[in-house]
Amino acid sequence: MYGWIWRRLPGGSGTRALQLAVILIAASLLLWYVVYPWASLHLSFDQAGLG
Amino acid sequence: MHVSVRLYLRISGEILMTLGVVVLGFMAYMYWGTAMREGSAQQTLQSELGHQWSGSGQSLAALTSPDSLALGKPFALIRIPSFGSKWQFAVVQGTGLQQLALGPGHVPGTALPGGIGNFAVAGHRVTAGNPFWSLPSLRSGSLVYIETVAGTYEYKVTGKPAWVSPDDTAVLAPVPDHPGRDPRRRMITLITCDPPWTGTSRVIVTGVLVRALPRAQGIEG
Repeated sequence: MYGWIWRRLPGGSGTRALQLAVILIAASLLLWYVVYPWASLHLSFDQAGLG
Repeated sequence: MHVSVRLYLRISGEILMTLGVVVLGFMAYMYWGTAMREGSAQQTLQSELGHQWSGSGQSLAALTSPDSLALGKPFALIRIPSFGSKWQFAVVQGTGLQQLALGPGHVPGTALPGGIGNFAVAGHRVTAGNPFWSLPSLRSGSLVYIETVAGTYEYKVTGKPAWVSPDDTAVLAPVPDHPGRDPRRRMITLITCDPPWTGTSRVIVTGVLVRALPRAQGIEG
């Protein structure tokens, strides 16, 4: 999977590494600010309500 | 064939490891992220309460009629001195995950602060700033202060914490454990989960109103 992404990216190793870093950071931000907040309101581990 | 098996194994290995990292990240979010989210929500809610209370009596009207409290809106501050002098949360209306993510929530349909019956508040044991982490440590005589636009209500905990099943709604009744009976006393019930991180059972703490101080002579908790 990562090999496939690596081969699809244009440029030399340096440019590719930079692009991969940008992709990883973007994916992390998306998880932290969008996916996790949404999931935390739909999955309940710590249930305090009654009924 | 060997090549394709190896390729398949490598791809599934990469996907599984990626999922592992994503799940670890989610656990980190549940621990730190929800606390940050709750912290900034509490700042907004508490300053909202400050504005409401220093302004017109509009929120006093809202307090006298339980139906007018909107889900997720703050209407009281809770202080428990045994949890530390800085321990203070704005209480919002509602106990859904959306509301408990903001702070402790008032169980809709139960009494209002200082009212006859049972004022019930649920809060997260862990996540969202762990508001009710220490609830099981409260003992008979511990004080709980609820401040509203009308004043401050001082409740005194009666008895030890009790462990109940998650569907035991009788503890929310106007006379706790006796649904249908007419209330005479002014009670408070605090609810959280036990063990932490689960929905296995609930731990509840019950108290009774000992003093009501009108806003003019409100006390610092």
